[in-house]
Amino acid sequence: MSKRIGSFAVNGKKRDTIIEPHMLLVDVIRDSLGLTGTKRACASGNCGACTVLADGQPVCSCLTLAVCSQDKALETVEGLRAADGTLHPLQQAFIEHCAAQCGYCTAGMLMTSKALLDANPRPSREDVKRALSGNICRCTGYVKIIDAVLDAAQKINAAREVAA
Amino acid sequence: MNDFAYVGKPMTKPDIYGKVTGEAKYTDDLVIPGMVEGRILCSPIAHARIKRIDTSKARALPGVLCVLTHEDCPKSRFSRSTMAEALPEFAFTGERQDQYILTDKVRYVGDWVAAVAAEDIYTAERALELIEVEYEPLAMVLDPFEALKPGAHVVHEDCPNNVAFEMDHPFNCGDVDKAFAEAIAVAEFSGVSSRQKHLHLETDIAIAAFESDGRLVIHSPSQGPHLAKKHLTKRVFPDLEDGDIRWISPAIGGGFGARLALGVEPAAVLLARACRRPVRVTTTREEDFQGYSSRTDQHQAIRVAADKDGKLLAIEQIIVADSGAYLSHSATTATVNMQKTLGVLKCDNIRGHLTVAYTNTPTTSGFRGYGNAEGAFVFQQALDRLAEKLGMDPMELRLRNLKVPGDPSCFVPVPLAHTKLEECIHLAADKIGWKDKWLGWDAKKEGRYKRGIGMSILTHASGAGGFLLEHSSCVMKVLTDGSLNLIVAPCEMGQGILGALAQVAAESTGLKYELIRISTGDTDVTMFDIGSHASRSMLVIGNAVAAAGVKINEQIRERAVSLFEEHQIRLTKDDIQVKAGQITSPKAPGISIDVGRVAYAAIYDFGSGGSQLNASGSYQSTSHHPNHQAAFAEVEVDTETGMVTVLNYVSAHDIGRAINPLLVEAQMQGSLVQGIGFALTEDFVIDPETGNVLSDSLLTYRLPTTMDVPEMEHLLIEDPLDDGPFGAKGCGEAGLVNPAAAIANAVYDAVGIRVHSLPLAADKVLWALRHGEDIAPGRSAVSGQYL
Ligand code: FES
Ligand code: FES
Repeated sequence: MSKRIGSFAVNGKKRDTIIEPHMLLVDVIRDSLGLTGTKRACASGNCGACTVLADGQPVCSCLTLAVCSQDKALETVEGLRAADGTLHPLQQAFIEHCAAQCGYCTAGMLMTSKALLDANPRPSREDVKRALSGNICRCTGYVKIIDAVLDAAQKINAAREVAA
Repeated sequence: MNDFAYVGKPMTKPDIYGKVTGEAKYTDDLVIPGMVEGRILCSPIAHARIKRIDTSKARALPGVLCVLTHEDCPKSRFSRSTMAEALPEFAFTGERQDQYILTDKVRYVGDWVAAVAAEDIYTAERALELIEVEYEPLAMVLDPFEALKPGAHVVHEDCPNNVAFEMDHPFNCGDVDKAFAEAIAVAEFSGVSSRQKHLHLETDIAIAAFESDGRLVIHSPSQGPHLAKKHLTKRVFPDLEDGDIRWISPAIGGGFGARLALGVEPAAVLLARACRRPVRVTTTREEDFQGYSSRTDQHQAIRVAADKDGKLLAIEQIIVADSGAYLSHSATTATVNMQKTLGVLKCDNIRGHLTVAYTNTPTTSGFRGYGNAEGAFVFQQALDRLAEKLGMDPMELRLRNLKVPGDPSCFVPVPLAHTKLEECIHLAADKIGWKDKWLGWDAKKEGRYKRGIGMSILTHASGAGGFLLEHSSCVMKVLTDGSLNLIVAPCEMGQGILGALAQVAAESTGLKYELIRISTGDTDVTMFDIGSHASRSMLVIGNAVAAAGVKINEQIRERAVSLFEEHQIRLTKDDIQVKAGQITSPKAPGISIDVGRVAYAAIYDFGSGGSQLNASGSYQSTSHHPNHQAAFAEVEVDTETGMVTVLNYVSAHDIGRAINPLLVEAQMQGSLVQGIGFALTEDFVIDPETGNVLSDSLLTYRLPTTMDVPEMEHLLIEDPLDDGPFGAKGCGEAGLVNPAAAIANAVYDAVGIRVHSLPLAADKVLWALRHGEDIAPGRSAVSGQYL
């Protein structure tokens, strides 16, 4: 198998691009599809900066072969905003809490947090810490990130209750 | 109470939007048309002469554009540190220019041997494998003490004793021998700080491209692009002039001092010159561990003496620092160690000496806390030992020896103007409950898990005025909607300086914070500035912004006079106020004019003095403007495993004024957790057989995670500094100084042992618990070697 067309469902859109068997998902997302919000920081599964969601599950896109991701619904940080451009409550909370410094870990933090809140809408502080324990941040000391995720969870829940 | 519109408020920093949406562009996100990929071949052995390099197979690989070796490099030497360009020629010889871009004699595992450029990264990688190098191995020296012995293997031929730098203590004073002889109590602590890695998540990267007019454009995450550009032209490529380069720092994925040194830029330029294409040179995380910067490991012994009342009579400090294969920032960090570490307390008899040794290990560099964190680990433990000998509360010992304004500051020529350290100590001590929790030197603790409390204090600088080129300039212009373009030179690495400067700009001009737009990071646009480091940006650049801001404010008020005349109100500019984008006057109640009207009228003026509202501002600092902190840590030690857990950390900061308390807190939290890593887990280990770095991944080099974050509180003491912008001092660096020292003192309080090397890893703590403190090992970076 050599070069071929790969089809990816990214942030709800179908995207075709040329892939090769050795290509990693992070390379396709960043270099072929131009979605550079996802970061490459260790390329060995140890930092979480490259985290994207595949069928709702957080995966290290630096450890995932692109060919194996074609039948999955992929979500990246670029897909977090609503269609009208409104920021996701997690993004809003990260802004309010100053939870991003250099920003290199931020996409991974946001995507891992989204997976957490989708699965567990009322996480405890400990739940958040555990969920994010595979995401390295060298800048923030994590406190504001954890605060932001808890705050976002509350706001999402409050909005849901109002809607219901 | 002041009535600032923005200063002191937790405003949202402008760069955060791009960071949470993924839109911020870092160097690796840029695509320059025609760009090719560059990679560097690193040496697999620690010390060898290159007998032969055959690049023919690599060059023959389709897609390879060029393969370069030492033969293709300029024959001028440079240093990774660009600081020589910020110092007066005569001031300091600690900036040895000691390396070439590619070498014919490798001096550490990771030294640069060859560079390739290829159409894509896979081809570039393949080409590296095809380069054949024949090495003639040389005996290596990995330990600084071995390197300094007579007859040691020589790392640099022009430095036969391996002494890269040497100096007496800048504080040398008094009669130290007499003071020690007369003292009631003498204590000593010796220990070695570790080679903490910066671990900025964005690994080293640079893009070099020549424009059609021959000008060179560099994109790379530099903390000081003006200085880097000057250094690159003066030392690395002497055929280029300052004006031949435009250096752009895009978003920076973390700095912490690492980006103050040159990274792969020289290789990128060399390759771009050779293949006449834009070249992006990238590095891997493993290469970052092997070859790029880390903190300098400093082996130190500090002896202190006091009289019966706890008055500090004498201090002696000996440092042997290991620079690694090239000097870079290691001499300057060790010098700063001497100034800042001992500069925190008053003492009239001081003696000391510093030696920096070359070894065949990776080059070290400057890291947040710049020498002070290394020094505090040793000095603050020596002070605790002294207090123990005196039977005195360690807090009391420190309180009795604090400096007061007028005493010499950590920067000798300028006396201390301002300190709130005493208040910091009391505030933090009360908050953590020191009186109830510190139970005396012979308190007995029972059980497997033992708790302890410890403290540390510090002084650090806001820039290095009087020593470095501490000046900065900015330009402002007001647009017709009342928004402001601020052209200013800091490097935003995440510390929030853009937000803080926008607040200073909004406050001083009277414009709206949300309408301050900052242009930065491009040497063609911004004015000369030595970069963001040494906690200098807030003070030095902030003052330049404030200086321009008041000029804009005055221009607005002058031009607003005629607008009030439209309301039949005659005012002078001194009657008028501008705040948050609105022009008002107490003499004209009910009238509020949008600044945009003045700005618009200034530009759309066809003959009566039209000009865009604009101003520039400059500032030069001639002092270090020290900031101060006191910190207390509570720990729990598992005596079965040696694991240390930090439970709680309270610190108080004398920072003049917090322009944005949220940003200050963010800096303190981040530096504390880096400090916990420095204290407990981040262990840089070199194989004593090969010189290879063994801790070469995030699995073997353990960074703190969310699970290691303690309870923490950062208290601010705000007493505005006369010559800071709205009274602010710098704050970003200092937070990393106290943690390791306070934690080490707390471990002693818990279990009665002191470990003589960082980190206080579980195995070392356990070893010391089992074998007793006196023979507790201090492990240097070279594994298996104990002090
Ligand atoms: S880049 Fe994928 S986990 Fe670090
Ligand atoms: S914000 Fe820099 S790594 Fe997290």
